[in-house]
Amino acid sequence: MSRAVTADEMDVEAGGKNYLNAEKGIVSWLTTVDHKRIGLMYLVSTLTMFMIAGIFALILRFELLRSGQDVLTPGQYNQAFTLHGAMMVFLFIIPAIPGGLGNFVLPIMIGAKDVAFPKLNLLSLYLYWTGAIFTASSIVSTGLDTGWTFYVPYSTTVSQTSVIAVTFGAFILGFSSILTGLNFIVTIHKLRAPGVTWYRLPLMLWAIYATSIVQILATPVLAITLLLLILERAFHVGIFDPKLGGDPVLYQHFFWFYSHPAVYIMILPGMGIISDLIAVHSHRRIFGYKAIAFSSVAIALVGFMVWGHHMFTSGQSELSSTIFSFITFFVAVPSGVKVFNWTGTMWGGSVAWNTPMFYAMSFLFLFTIGGLTGLPLAMIGLDLHLHDTYFVVAHFHYVMMGGAVIAFIGGLHHWWPKMTGRMYNETTAKIACGLIFVGFNMTFFTQFFLGARGMPRRYHTYLDQYQPLHAFSTYGSWVLGAGLFLVLFTFIHSLFKGERAPANPWGGRSLEWQTPSPPPTENFHKTPVVTHGPYDFATTGK
Amino acid sequence: MMSASTEAAQEKGSPDFVVAHHFDKADTQFDAGRLGIWLFLVTEILFFGGLFCAFFIYRGWYFDSFVEAHHHLDKKMGALNTVFLITSSLTMALGVRSAQRSARKETVGFLLATVLLACAFLVVKYFEYTHKIHDGLLPGAMFHAQGFTTQHPGVFYAIYFVMTGIHGLHVVIGIGLILWILIRAQKGEFSSRYYAPVEGVGLYWHLVDLIWIYLFPLLYLVG
Amino acid sequence: MSHAESHDSHHSHGPDHVPHVTPLPVYLATFGTLCVLTVVTVGASYINLGTTVNLFIALIIATIKATVVALFFMHLKSDLRFHSVVFGSSVVFLIIFISFTMFDTNVRGQFEPQKRHRPAIMTDPFAAPSAPTATPSAAAAPAGSAPAGSQAPAHP
Repeated sequence: MSRAVTADEMDVEAGGKNYLNAEKGIVSWLTTVDHKRIGLMYLVSTLTMFMIAGIFALILRFELLRSGQDVLTPGQYNQAFTLHGAMMVFLFIIPAIPGGLGNFVLPIMIGAKDVAFPKLNLLSLYLYWTGAIFTASSIVSTGLDTGWTFYVPYSTTVSQTSVIAVTFGAFILGFSSILTGLNFIVTIHKLRAPGVTWYRLPLMLWAIYATSIVQILATPVLAITLLLLILERAFHVGIFDPKLGGDPVLYQHFFWFYSHPAVYIMILPGMGIISDLIAVHSHRRIFGYKAIAFSSVAIALVGFMVWGHHMFTSGQSELSSTIFSFITFFVAVPSGVKVFNWTGTMWGGSVAWNTPMFYAMSFLFLFTIGGLTGLPLAMIGLDLHLHDTYFVVAHFHYVMMGGAVIAFIGGLHHWWPKMTGRMYNETTAKIACGLIFVGFNMTFFTQFFLGARGMPRRYHTYLDQYQPLHAFSTYGSWVLGAGLFLVLFTFIHSLFKGERAPANPWGGRSLEWQTPSPPPTENFHKTPVVTHGPYDFATTGK
Repeated sequence: MMSASTEAAQEKGSPDFVVAHHFDKADTQFDAGRLGIWLFLVTEILFFGGLFCAFFIYRGWYFDSFVEAHHHLDKKMGALNTVFLITSSLTMALGVRSAQRSARKETVGFLLATVLLACAFLVVKYFEYTHKIHDGLLPGAMFHAQGFTTQHPGVFYAIYFVMTGIHGLHVVIGIGLILWILIRAQKGEFSSRYYAPVEGVGLYWHLVDLIWIYLFPLLYLVG
Repeated sequence: MSHAESHDSHHSHGPDHVPHVTPLPVYLATFGTLCVLTVVTVGASYINLGTTVNLFIALIIATIKATVVALFFMHLKSDLRFHSVVFGSSVVFLIIFISFTMFDTNVRGQFEPQKRHRPAIMTDPFAAPSAPTATPSAAAAPAGSAPAGSQAPAHP
């Protein structure tokens, strides 16, 4: 893009007004329809939930430091892991990247002034808060001990905890998620600036687009599932109750028809972030743009046909299990395509070792482990042994935490200067990244061994033979927790003491770097006209 | 700023409509709205889809029971309601057409007719429900009708009540939405230049009709 | 901000929106079709052609009615093609959902060859495997799925 003035000069012209200081006061935030402010509020809310759910995790690990009962009773342990899971999934990972980072960067990346339906966007944030209140209300009432999956018949007939409040909360959160996805699809279709063709979209947006498809198609099924669960618990309508002729396994079908695609709601935006991080910090045109773009869509679609692999031991028919197992292996193909293209992008690039790049490296390492350990779990024979052991726990933490959350934190570092107009301290940020990487592997790699040796998940105590590994895992969780708190410290420090960020600190080529940091309320002083792709760097590799 | 937008609005001839600042032109805004509604309808279809899935599975499992239970539903009531709903769909479509042609009185009239037909649907549904409740033809554990020869008739009634109940809830919401655009139409807010809310509510209302088109034969006719 | 897809749009009348008004007879004909098909579907339910045939007839008529509603009342015929794709995708994924789930529910317990030689009895799974007379349907059904008893054919 040839331009006469730089974005920073334009900012001076505009008198330094940006979206943060354009209006003041709490009311201006609560009634805003600016996607950037909504994105920030999403970020603050989801990170708060991440912290609460993370503290639950630290308490759980502390309980498991020694066998026997230490700080939690068995009942409290059940409630702690349920709330850890439910809050992490429904209140943090699913909304964090689309709602937080996605909301902020999506319209800017396509050169739009806002999302297509700004008021709907605000409504979806309010729905998120409402759902969060319902879910969090269980902490102060009777808790929840069903596990985040709310399996019947335990949740409908046995559990004495506040199942209805939490499931209703998740029901509302589903609406929030649907509205966000709907908004993003329409925005990408209708609001691209002149010159932003589909193949000039940053890969982050292809990933967000694929995610939105999943949100639209899968979330309604969760809504009906949870509604039936509530009716079952309140009125015993019998659709899931074997005594009345219902089928509890049907609940699992319904639940996983949403919740398996939901795994891709969590990981796909993470993959999108990583595509952008690697290209920008390698200053290299991304290798295999179309392959990465379409593999996102492929993962989203194939992901709808594999949900039964969560149910190999549930009593579903062997025919189903075999079909689901077979299709599951196909998910590895587009995921592999992505990993190879990311590695290919770095080769021959001029890699700048900024903090986001460190997170991208962590992601590649951890996500590959997480993805590959999914394959043994997809084999029916092996899964019968590994099902409900720590092997599964380790696997999905590698994908969810090592994949999605690491990508999210990396993306947060990447766009932080854009969002706040401040740089952060690279040294502490890198130390935090290192602590997270080491702590994460200590905590969860150990659990592969625990699981393979037969340690079942969801128990507050264990046989003495597992003690050393459990203790090591708990020590790891402390390192991990320290790393995450250091990230928080780095960001807070940056808010008050950070240097002013230039418009384009990383030398990126996509549109969000062509506007001042932080951007003005309407994103661009003048509607941009785009004449090149998002990754047209000078370096094109060897 | 204020005067500029008023000026633009007068130029466009419709006092209350200005293209939102983030759209380049009215067509884009219309298409965006319509795409948004269609995506929403997709979520509605999948939402009901779960219940259709349950219906087909339990129909396969408890076939005899479904046949026996569906004979207790009143085909005539169901058919009457079908006629109410497809007629209301017609009046809704004509209401949208009137709005497109800037015919304010016609629009209000057709929307009013739609609301009345929707209310008639609910009245019939009320009589059906009270009859079922009186006979003890209820879901799951609440089922207490006598004289059934097959196993688990409660499953059929669970599906019947949940499906028609959620559908009925959509009808109630639809009535609210139609009244909302009716009031706006009365105020003269819609014209051939701006009728997006009428069209959006119309699409929603047709979907409610479309779902009933499946519910009626599956529940009342073939069981 | 320009409309990136304006070339797909059927209206290109400058800055203002010009509605596509469907002629009145189209709506009336649609309504007529719906009424006739309603009578047909009610009538067909009184003729017993076997329950599966009746179900399919009812579903086919309902699908014709739904298509008519979508094409004319909901304007899919004259609307952007992409909206039909969106609508169609919901149907495709609904079919995936229902059919994959029924892969399980319809054949649950029927593909366990080793159980023919060693039938498991759910009430006493560790009993000696010398009881070939154990009711196969009860053995095949996982705990709680009574339906297999009425649905699953007995194993040879």
